[in-house]
Amino acid sequence: MTFLPFLISGLGIGAVYALSGVGLVILFRATGVLNFAFGAFGAIGAHCAWQLLEWKMPLAVAIPAAVVVSTAISFLYGRIFAPMLSHRDTVVRAVGTLAPALVLIALMGIIWGELPRRLQFPTDQMFVSLFGVRLTYTRIIAILLAVVMVGAITLLLNRTRLGLDMRALANDRDLSAILGVRILYTETAAWVITGIFSGFAGLLLADLVRLQGTFLTLLVIPAIAAAILGQLRSLWETAVAGLLIGIAEAALTPVGWISPYRAAAPFIIALVAVTILGSTAKAVLKDR
Amino acid sequence: MRIDMRGLVIGLGLTLFSAFSAHAAASCGDNNGKAATGEPIVIGAITGKTGPDDFSNSTRAANAYFDCLNANGGIKGRPVKYLVEDDQWNPETAAQLAAKLVNDEKAVLMVGNSSFVECGANADFYKKSGILVVAGVGVPRECFFAENYAATNAGPRVSTLGAMGYALDQLKAKSVVCIGPNIPNVGTWSCDGIKSLAKEKGFTAETILMDPGTADSTSIILQAAASKPDVIILGLPKGVTIPLLTAAEEQGLNQTIKFLSAASAYDLSVPGTIGAGWDGNFYVNMEFNDLEAATPDNQNWLAVMDKYGQSSDPRDTFAQAGYLAARIAEKALMSLDPKDITRESTSAAIRQVKGFASDIFCAPWYFGDGQPRHNANSTTRMAVSEGGKWKVISDCAPSPDPELADIRAFEKSAGLAP
Repeated sequence: MTFLPFLISGLGIGAVYALSGVGLVILFRATGVLNFAFGAFGAIGAHCAWQLLEWKMPLAVAIPAAVVVSTAISFLYGRIFAPMLSHRDTVVRAVGTLAPALVLIALMGIIWGELPRRLQFPTDQMFVSLFGVRLTYTRIIAILLAVVMVGAITLLLNRTRLGLDMRALANDRDLSAILGVRILYTETAAWVITGIFSGFAGLLLADLVRLQGTFLTLLVIPAIAAAILGQLRSLWETAVAGLLIGIAEAALTPVGWISPYRAAAPFIIALVAVTILGSTAKAVLKDR
Repeated sequence: MRIDMRGLVIGLGLTLFSAFSAHAAASCGDNNGKAATGEPIVIGAITGKTGPDDFSNSTRAANAYFDCLNANGGIKGRPVKYLVEDDQWNPETAAQLAAKLVNDEKAVLMVGNSSFVECGANADFYKKSGILVVAGVGVPRECFFAENYAATNAGPRVSTLGAMGYALDQLKAKSVVCIGPNIPNVGTWSCDGIKSLAKEKGFTAETILMDPGTADSTSIILQAAASKPDVIILGLPKGVTIPLLTAAEEQGLNQTIKFLSAASAYDLSVPGTIGAGWDGNFYVNMEFNDLEAATPDNQNWLAVMDKYGQSSDPRDTFAQAGYLAARIAEKALMSLDPKDITRESTSAAIRQVKGFASDIFCAPWYFGDGQPRHNANSTTRMAVSEGGKWKVISDCAPSPDPELADIRAFEKSAGLAP
């Protein structure tokens, strides 16, 4: 059996993992928060899009609305709750994001139930055939969007004042404050940017995977795996890692003995990444 | 504002009409409208409510029926005290709860159980304690291979093979791929049934076991389509079935391959969710009658749910299963002297249940006295997705599951089947 069709089928989801991973890394670089609620932010936006489409609103309204909702929730958390935890440990700040995730899961369960919905875009019906597999335009859009957004964020970080402030914050929060970096402003901007990423990722995952609150929330795990492979620093490495995780999961399908367990691939990749990268980081520290 | 009297009268008339015509009045027990006041009869149940999924619809329906029964004379004046416990999908909890209900609460019978884990955890305990279980929804193999445990539903394997029978007879399938979850005694059990039927009938069959938590449905569908089957049979929870169908439609496979499913996908919202692309292409097996059937028993179930259940309780096949389990228990208990309702007398009465007929079942239900295992519901119908609804498309047909040989032999010897 050839692996090629599975490489193609893994590309789409891999691209969304990449997008999600990059969204996580941006926030982590600027604020030091690993956002476990990333998936939930995206999921609630996607549910809103589904609801608007159910109410016969045009797609041109539903998509921006989803991104706006995800971004708004991310903004509210980043502006109101995140600053209260800003002087705590990285772990506490990360665990803090579990609270909005759980609240949003419950909210989605109450409003929309647990049976998966189906979010469809017209691009699902358009496709190119590669190796006997249909690569839908939605998947192609996911790949392009990942590339474009990573490019845009790289430019933002390297060429703008906001980007400079973010990089400064990432290096040393207290020193940046003394130097006059507007901390709250910069951190809130990072929450808005990660919100936009979560909005797009949520929409695409809802279309490609399934529109179900709990499930989409948990898809933050492969994104975290990608972010860890990018050492929570490099956007391009994170993007490539996300893509590879998606492909790895798909490519294990035809391998009979491991196929039923392939959904564990992102977890195992994350575990291996933490073990290896963790020890190299320690080695680097020793050298100093 | 001027009140339009004519409009008001018509409106009132329509409201009354709809109230009376929606469902007939609920009918339970002696149907005498007198509340039972005697010493309660303790009946227990274990269900998986909190956990990966809520399986408690069966006990909710049984509870509604027992409330209706208690409001209508109970068991010859004695009310049923129905104690439902949540095993949280944890076998250890299930075992503790069984001990509590059987040893501490002195339950005489268990009714409407619906759990993924408790059959395996408690089957031996029930046998040792001499208590019988008329379960609602059994899922893994253990629920259908225990001496004291009999469910009203058909179970995933019998249901999957019911779908296979339809694929062979009506769709003339020559090759099939069975997709099941990689959960021990569930996915393999169902798909192994397809394999052994394939050997017997001479068609080709392949099995794919999948992690229900996978995000990548497209790869599963591509793997299934690689062997170019006539039909693909899904034995999966509905939450996993929908993404697989979506992925199949994306690959255009809904136009070339017929898809069938076990009863797990038989939910009223599924046809609307999967959309028009599946009209006439997605078939499900039904363990019970159409949820909206206008037949007397089915209407009584809906009426009981309306009057004694919560409006939020789902009207689904799980609820049908629980309602039937409660009715079977009622029938057995009514045959006893109300002063002598003990675990022993109740068990003896349940063992005698033969030919329990309901239009929700295809064939009469029985306990199977002296049988080491039970699977009385093995005759099922099929429905197809069409225009956002299910359309029933077949008469009741026996499941061709080869593993049912002992059950069929017993039915013949006991005069339960021709």
